[in-house]
Order: sequence, then structure tokens, then C-alpha cells
Amino acid sequence: MMITASELSAILPLLIPALGACLLPLAALDKDQATVKWVRGAMFFMALFCLAGGFFYITRLWATGAQPAYGAIHMDRLAQFAGIFVLVAAALAVLQLWDHLHQEGWVKGETLSLLLFSAVGMILFVAASNLILLFLGLELLSLPLYALTATVRTRAKAFEGGMKYFITGAVAASSFLMGSVLLYGVTGSLEIVAVGQALASRTPDAIALTGAALLMMGFLFKVSSVPFHQWTPDVYEAAPHPISGFMSVATKGVAILALLRVLGAGIPAPGSLRIQAALAVVAILTLVVGNLAALAQNNIKRMLAYSSISHAGYILLGLVAGTPAAYGGIIFYLVSYLVMNMGAFGILTCLGLVGDKTTFDDVKGMGWKRPDLAIAASLCLFGLAGIPPMAGFYGKYMIFKELILQGHVAMAVTGVLASLVSVYYYFRLPVALFLEKPTEKAEREASERPALRAPLAGAAVLVCGILVVVIGLFPGTLYTAFAWRVVTDTFPFLR
Amino acid sequence: MITPWMNSHLLTFLVFAPFAWGALLLLFPERQAPLVKLLAVLGAAGVLAVAAAQLLRGQPDALGQVAVERFHWFSAVGIPVEYHLSADGLNLWLVILTVFLVPLTMLGTWNSLPNRPGTAFALLLMLESGMLGALVAQDLLLFYLFWEAMLLPMYFLIGVWGGAERRYAATKFLLFTLSGSLLWLVALLYTAGKAGSFAPGVMAQAVQALPGKTQGTLFIAFALAFAIKVPLFPLHTWLPDAHTEAPTAGSVILAGVLLKLGSYGFLRFAFPIFPDAARHFSLLLAGLSVAAIIYGALVAMVQTDIKKLVAYSSVSHMGFVMLGIASMTVIGTQGAMLQMLNHGISTGALFILVGMLYDRAHTRRIADFGGVALKMPVFTAFFMIVTLSSIGLPLTNGFAGEFLILNGTYLSGFHWGKAAAVVATLGVLLSAAYMLWMVKRVFWGPANPDPESGTAHLHADLNLREVAVLLPLVVLIFWMGIHPETFLGQSEAHVSRALLQTAGGEVKR
Repeated sequence: MMITASELSAILPLLIPALGACLLPLAALDKDQATVKWVRGAMFFMALFCLAGGFFYITRLWATGAQPAYGAIHMDRLAQFAGIFVLVAAALAVLQLWDHLHQEGWVKGETLSLLLFSAVGMILFVAASNLILLFLGLELLSLPLYALTATVRTRAKAFEGGMKYFITGAVAASSFLMGSVLLYGVTGSLEIVAVGQALASRTPDAIALTGAALLMMGFLFKVSSVPFHQWTPDVYEAAPHPISGFMSVATKGVAILALLRVLGAGIPAPGSLRIQAALAVVAILTLVVGNLAALAQNNIKRMLAYSSISHAGYILLGLVAGTPAAYGGIIFYLVSYLVMNMGAFGILTCLGLVGDKTTFDDVKGMGWKRPDLAIAASLCLFGLAGIPPMAGFYGKYMIFKELILQGHVAMAVTGVLASLVSVYYYFRLPVALFLEKPTEKAEREASERPALRAPLAGAAVLVCGILVVVIGLFPGTLYTAFAWRVVTDTFPFLR
Repeated sequence: MITPWMNSHLLTFLVFAPFAWGALLLLFPERQAPLVKLLAVLGAAGVLAVAAAQLLRGQPDALGQVAVERFHWFSAVGIPVEYHLSADGLNLWLVILTVFLVPLTMLGTWNSLPNRPGTAFALLLMLESGMLGALVAQDLLLFYLFWEAMLLPMYFLIGVWGGAERRYAATKFLLFTLSGSLLWLVALLYTAGKAGSFAPGVMAQAVQALPGKTQGTLFIAFALAFAIKVPLFPLHTWLPDAHTEAPTAGSVILAGVLLKLGSYGFLRFAFPIFPDAARHFSLLLAGLSVAAIIYGALVAMVQTDIKKLVAYSSVSHMGFVMLGIASMTVIGTQGAMLQMLNHGISTGALFILVGMLYDRAHTRRIADFGGVALKMPVFTAFFMIVTLSSIGLPLTNGFAGEFLILNGTYLSGFHWGKAAAVVATLGVLLSAAYMLWMVKRVFWGPANPDPESGTAHLHADLNLREVAVLLPLVVLIFWMGIHPETFLGQSEAHVSRALLQTAGGEVKR
């Protein structure tokens, strides 16, 4: 079987990180204490190199405008965007992992391998043009994450979190699979586009409806929207900080992107399910539950977990609006969310919060120790709260405006009030960092800890902080060059 | 090379230079604080010099603009957003007030900030950027962005450098302001969606096509955001907390400029865009303004803390501003314009003076003083002048503003006009009562004999720096009182034009 250059270019962005993921565990065989430092450095370099390689090939595709395919792997604009999105998130996570793993006591090289495998699964998930491959992508992205959640085994909740994630994830995956099977049974096709066309041409029946609903449940689980959100805080709390950040950004992002593809293809068929109404209920519930629960958290990671649930709500509101401009707003939202959330989770590593010491009490007054990093992270949190001129404002602005233009004023008001609530908990971290005095216990513990050094994580957070402001100052550039092109090239029929 | 760029981008320079300078100063380590403070003051003074030299010299064009910048910024999701800044009759003097107060505030609180003064000064510069941007922004989304951007520096000024309850006060300030502005954002997006533009003129035309009830709802959403900022009774409860807890620098800027943005928002946006709704709700606005005047004055009367007294007097004085705007007459609105400047100067000066007293005595309780005049005669002289200006004695600035407002309200032609003017006049009397009573208890009489009292801690009268801060304020107080035309000439044409729109072609003078 010959593979053409075009086909190769479709899968190279997947192959390079996958190759790295296969080779990285070999490094873990090295047990020699004398060489171990050198090997660790080489592993990180290799992981970053593979991510950069994938990034290079995918941006080349983006620049030429080609949308090649290899079998059911369709590297169209949406998949290319997903690739860039995931690889950048993974690279930021790898930078933070270097410092975090050193702080937690060294954990073996499988971590990086699993992260890369998960990234490959994520790209595959969005690039898949049939339901089987979609399921494969879902599993490939999920399974490594279950293991990654339990990576730091010294942490009390690591095992519990990993197990919880695995079991609920398995339920979601089987629901997804069952939905695909039912849709295949009804339409006789596995191609997403063909399934959509077949559904459109027939009167809706109970089986097709159930199939579509089960499929949606699988997606909503990965998006962590209410009522499929309960795993999120436990899992984010248990996982290493950079992995929590990566999961909150990349998993949610690709789930939304794949959902866009499925919805864009007409599954569930318009009219067969009152999808808009159902999504609206889910979105509002997600917003309300996420924001209210976040208020009550004392652990920063659990707060960020509920915050990520609430952001799923805003993005789903964009799906409710359902216009091309709203889709563009969603893409923009995802980019700014990537930057803001990686910065927010990154500061935990920068402050050297190991183990379960991630409550607001643990960071009191610590902002003055590294004001530059703490300010950068605070900017990210202000952005998450949607305060202009930070990037986060514009995503909300675009989605709310489309909602209002579509006549859903009440929903926009709910969303706006929810983000008012969110201001309170997002400000708690900057407040703790800068406005409060450290507790005696925290000061004692900080003095016992080795001096704070997190060069790579610090660099990652600084980059995020700067980007939050830069995107906020030039939102139009990102929108036209990126978000709008994804929408028009992937869904030309929507215009 | 710099000069031509400066000439065509004057407003961009004014708006962003303080921010850039402040951000630069943040990079200095804390031990360099004296240098940072010096650089911050020099930067703020430079901005003042440029603004005064360029803006006051500028010749107004046909639209009354002395400086303007306008180009397309971005148009995500259909509606184009313009980067449109201009300085015209409505905002010119407020801009000058802002750039004037910031360096004075820094000088006035030179030694008042116990920790990290350099960072506080840098934040003040960033705040200046937000305020100037909001004042000169003509595109509503741009205005909204600057409006929100002001929040963060102020939040941290109160939250880091404030008094014992600083976190509560800062959070209250933040949540109050945001709750208004977020609902306003929805109304703004709705209106902009109907108009296809964020330009106030285009929006005003589109609004005419909407049903009256929708116009009313949208106006209320706009008015709510601005009224919280003013703050209008009964939305004022954040103000006394914020003022009392804020450091002197924060209080001065808050009272001097931030509150004005609320009334400016009414004048610039809410009234011209929704003229019919504004007329419909003018009775409500006037009623709340009068309530603010009387209520603020009565509550000020019973305060035991000097700073809190000044804070409540702010509520009362801003009530006058809102009454003038609600009268929808040229005279009343001109009075409101002047009163905004007056309040910025007088109340700003009062907060600086209270701060100077607090720095020496470490208390602000009225009962802790008595006989201050014996110990600090120069300070007392300044305090008396500012007090009289705040009361509105003829020949000081306060008189001209309040007179115009009451005059305009009386002649407004609204059926409530005469009654509102009469009741509001009571507010003038009350302001004399609470201010003079406070002055009597603090400054006059024998020195407080208690060795622990505030008076006992007063060892030195004002030094040269402090006199240098207060002198320009006092000069302005008399200048504005004796020759208010200097400050009114620029705005008259503008106010007439804005009201022409509001009154549907017929202007009550």
C-alpha cells in the first residue's frame, strides 16, 4: 500500500508525537543514578521536540490552506485548529511538569509518554470523520488521562481520583459507543456526514433519538457539563497541577470542537430532538451550578475545577445561539481559555504548592515573593472573570451578543449574572496572593521548603499572562486570522 | 520625529502614556521606592503639562472637538468597533481635572503610604489611564472597556493600602460596580445589535424605532450602571465604606474623578441615546437626586469620623450634579458640569487635608480633636477655605455650580421643577450646618486636654510640600468662583447640542 504525500501530510502531525510517546518510556529503563539527570533532561527535550514537530507540520498545513485526508482521518481546518490548540496546551503542560515533578519527587518517564499519547488522541478525536474513529480518539485521549490523574502516588487522593475518573469515563465511553451503534443501526452508515444526511431524510423515531441522545451524553461528559460534571473537582484535585490544567483546557476544547463537527453534520437531526432547548437547559444549569459551587471552595484546584465547569456553560451558550458568528466566538473563547487556564494552574507550580497544600490559606501573601509571576497569573484570573481588557472578556462578549441578536436576552442576562458571581471567587486568588498576610503555619512551612525555583513553569505563566493582555488589545486579529477562518472553511454551508 | 506623531495621536498618548509609565515603574524593586515615587510624579506632571499645553490651546472644530482620533479597531461578530477618542466641550475640563489631580494626589500623599508606596504610585498612573480613556472614548464598547479597566487598579489601591476593613470595602466596591455594568453590557449589546454600531449617534437613531417600553428598559439598564458609579441614592452604600477604608490617594481619585464618570455617562450617553426615556424618567432621577442631597447631608451631620463625613457630603454634592442633569435645561446642565469640577477640587482637597491630619494624629474621630487651630494655624486656614467652597459660599466655586443647578431646576418647565429646587436649597443649608459644626468641634475651642487625643499628637504645621499641594487647589477654588466662564465657555455649545437631541428640537434655556 502506497501512501501519497498528501495523505502523509494529514497524519504527520499525529505520527510525530505518537512516535515520541512510544520512545519516551525507554528512557525510564535507565536506572543509573549517575546519568539520571541527563536522561531526564533529554526526555523533556524529546517530548517538547515531538510536540514542536507536530506543531510545525500542522501550521504548515494551516499556512497552505490544504485540508488533506488519510482514510477517515480528515485534517480539515477544524482538526488543524484542534491540533494547534492541543499541542500548545501540551507544550505548556510539559514546561510546568518539569518543575512540578521535581517538586513532587521524581516520577518516571511514563508521565510524558502518556501526555503525548493523550494529545494524539485528542487530535484524532477532532480529525475523525467516522464514528468508529471518533470513538477510538475518545479512548486514546481518555485512557492516558486516567493514569495521569493517579501519577503522584504520594498524594492521598491520587488513586481515588484516578479510579473515579476511570469508572465515570468508562460509563461515558460506553454511552458514546451505544449511541454510535444505534445510529449505525438506523442509518446504515458510520460516516458522520452520511449519518447526518440519513437522519435528515427520515422521520425521527425513538431509536435514532436515543442514539443521538446517548452520543450527546458522551460529549457532555467530556465537556464536564451539568449533570455529568461530578467527577471534575475530584479528578482535578487529585491530578498533578499541570495535568489538571491540560485536562481542563484540552479535553474540554476538543470535546467542544468534535461536538461542533457532529452538530454541524446534523446529528441529532434538526427537529428530531429539540437540541437547542435541551442544550439551553444544560448550559444554564452548568453555568449556575459551576459558579455557585465554585464560591464555596477553599481549595484552589477545586475552585478552578468548578470554574472550568462554568466555562463549559458559557461555551454551550454559544452552541445554543448556533450562528456561524457564535461558532467563531466559541473558537475565540477556547483560545483565550487555553491561555488563561494554563496560567491559572501554572501559578500553583510556580509557588511550589506540593501535595494537597493547594488551599487559599497556603498562598496567602506569597504574591510578593514573585510579583511578576503572581501578576501574570492574576491577569489570567481577571480574564477568566471576563474583566476587560483581558482576553476572556471578548469570548463572552461574542457569545452574549449572538445570544442577544438571536433573541435569547434572558439567557444572556443569566450568563452575565453568573459571571458577576464568578468575579468573587476569581478574585480570591489575587486577594490571597497580594492582600492577605501569610499565616504563621504557612510561613514556617515555606521557610522549611527549599527556595522557590520554577524556571520553566514561570516562563509558561509569564507567556500566558502576556498573551492574555495582548489578545485583549488585538482581539480582531485573532478573530479574523483564526476563529473566523476555522468556521468558514469547516462549515461553508453555514454562511 | 516625535512631534508630528504626538500631534496626530495626542489622545492616545495621554491615555496610554501613564499606563506604560506605571507598568515600567512596577518593574523597579521595592527598595527603589523613593526613586519610583519621584519618577511617578514626574510622569504624571509630564502628562499634565502635555494635556494643558495641547488641549487648552487646541482650536475646536465644527463639532467642538479640540483633539480627535478615529479608526476602525475590530469587528468581530458583525458590529464594527471603532477606536474613536475625542476631547470636546463635555469632557475637556474633566480630562484636565484628572491629569491635574493625579500628580497633586501623589505629592499630597508622598509619605502617607506605609508599605510599597512605589507600587501604589504605579497603580495610580494605571488608574489615570483608565479614567482618561473612559473620558475621551466616543465609541460605547471602547468606553465600556475603559470603564471596567478602571476597576482593577482602584480595587487594589483600596484592598492593599486601605484601612482595617479594606478587603470588605474593596470587594463591595467591585461587586456593586460590576453588577451595574454587566447588566448595562447586555443592554448595550442589544442596542448595538439593533443599530449595527457602537457609535452613540447611530444608536440614538436606532432607538427611536424601538417601542417605548423597550427604550425604557434599556435606559434603566444604562442608568443603573451610571447611577451606581455616581452614586445616586439608594445605590450609594458602597461609597462610605470605600472612602473610609481607601488610602488618601484612593479617596481623592475616587471622589475627584471616578464618581464624575457616572454623571458624565448620563450626560454623554444615557440621555442623548434615550431622549424620550430620559424625559420619562426625569422625575424619578430628580427625586432620587433630591433624596441624595438631603439624605447625604443628614447622615453626614451625625458622623463621628471626619472622612466618613466628607464621604457622605460627596453623596449630597453628587446629588446636585444629578439634579442639574435631570433638569434637562442648559443652565442646569452647565451647572452640573461646573459642579462636577467643583466637587473634584473641593472634595479632593478635603480628602487630602483629612489625610494630612490623619498622618499626624493617627485618628479621624471628631471627638479626638478640638483646638487644632491653635496648633496648626496654616492648616486651619486652608481647611476653612476648602470648607467654605464645599458649602458653596459666594465667590468660591461651590456657589456658582449650585446656583446654576438650582436656577436650571427651578426654570426647567417640569412640573416638579420648582418643588425640587426648593427642597434642594435646604441641602445647601444643611451642608453649611454639618461642615461648620464639624469645623467647630475639630478646630476651634481650647486644645483637647487629653494627652492621648489627636490634638496632642499634632506637632508640626504644614510643610512646604503640603502647602505646594494645597495652594493650586485654593487658587482654583477662587478662580472658578469668580470667573466660572473660563470653565463653562467650552461646554455650552455642546450641552445645547446634546439637549437639542434630548428635548426633541426645543431647548429650554
